[in-house]
Amino acid sequence: MERAILIAIALFGLVVWRVVLMLLEQWPSPPATPPPRRRKDTLAMQRPPHWLLPCVELTTGIGWGPGSSRIDLVQADSRADMYLRRVIALTGATQNGKSYFLDVGTTRFQVWDRFMMRLRDSADPKGRYYEETCFGPAFQGMPKAERIATVLLQMRNNPELFEKWAKKETAFKADGQPFRRGAVMV
Amino acid sequence: MKAKILTFSPAGDTTLLDYDPEIADMEEVNRVIAEYEAKTGAQPFDMATGERIEKVTREQQEVLMVHPIAGG
Repeated sequence: MERAILIAIALFGLVVWRVVLMLLEQWPSPPATPPPRRRKDTLAMQRPPHWLLPCVELTTGIGWGPGSSRIDLVQADSRADMYLRRVIALTGATQNGKSYFLDVGTTRFQVWDRFMMRLRDSADPKGRYYEETCFGPAFQGMPKAERIATVLLQMRNNPELFEKWAKKETAFKADGQPFRRGAVMV
Repeated sequence: MKAKILTFSPAGDTTLLDYDPEIADMEEVNRVIAEYEAKTGAQPFDMATGERIEKVTREQQEVLMVHPIAGG
């Protein structure tokens, strides 16, 4: 009798174990390869596609195998920085953190990439006078370094442009002539 | 030796024109620059001196077309 009870308990245990295994097999589990997720902070999304970058240098015959090609991509930003360094040398500007000081005659300008200040003016005998204005390219964007380079070049050649920009009326060419956006063909 | 006319653009610097200054028709070069200025308002600067120039000559090796700026 005792043996029959033990066998019955053992069979019951086996049945319970089998049911538990079946339940575990049907339980939803994560797939072997997770579904693709959009990451907004990936490097690929921060950079423009390589075919949009300028100055693609294609060198054939050098690479991993016969006939392979090596594409050297020069980043637009690094080229913009190169031009900014050249303009800094040409204009005598000096870097101060993220801004640049430019002296034109007795006037000193401090230039950021979208904002600038005229720190002193020859009309101000105490030299404490300053004004500020925002600025931007008239009709198209450009890298930050090139915006700064553009303003440094224009200020050095025609510092009166600052007055015109500060009035926020319209865009001006480098020679100070107004430029109407309607005349632009992009 | 080559000379070039370039400009800043959303994708960085862009070469608008390159030519051999020894044999190029400078009238044609200046005509292209004038057309570009008429369309965009950009004016030429000599990248050797940083000075704005009225006309491009054979001496200039690199000319940057500087776009208009608006205050804001």
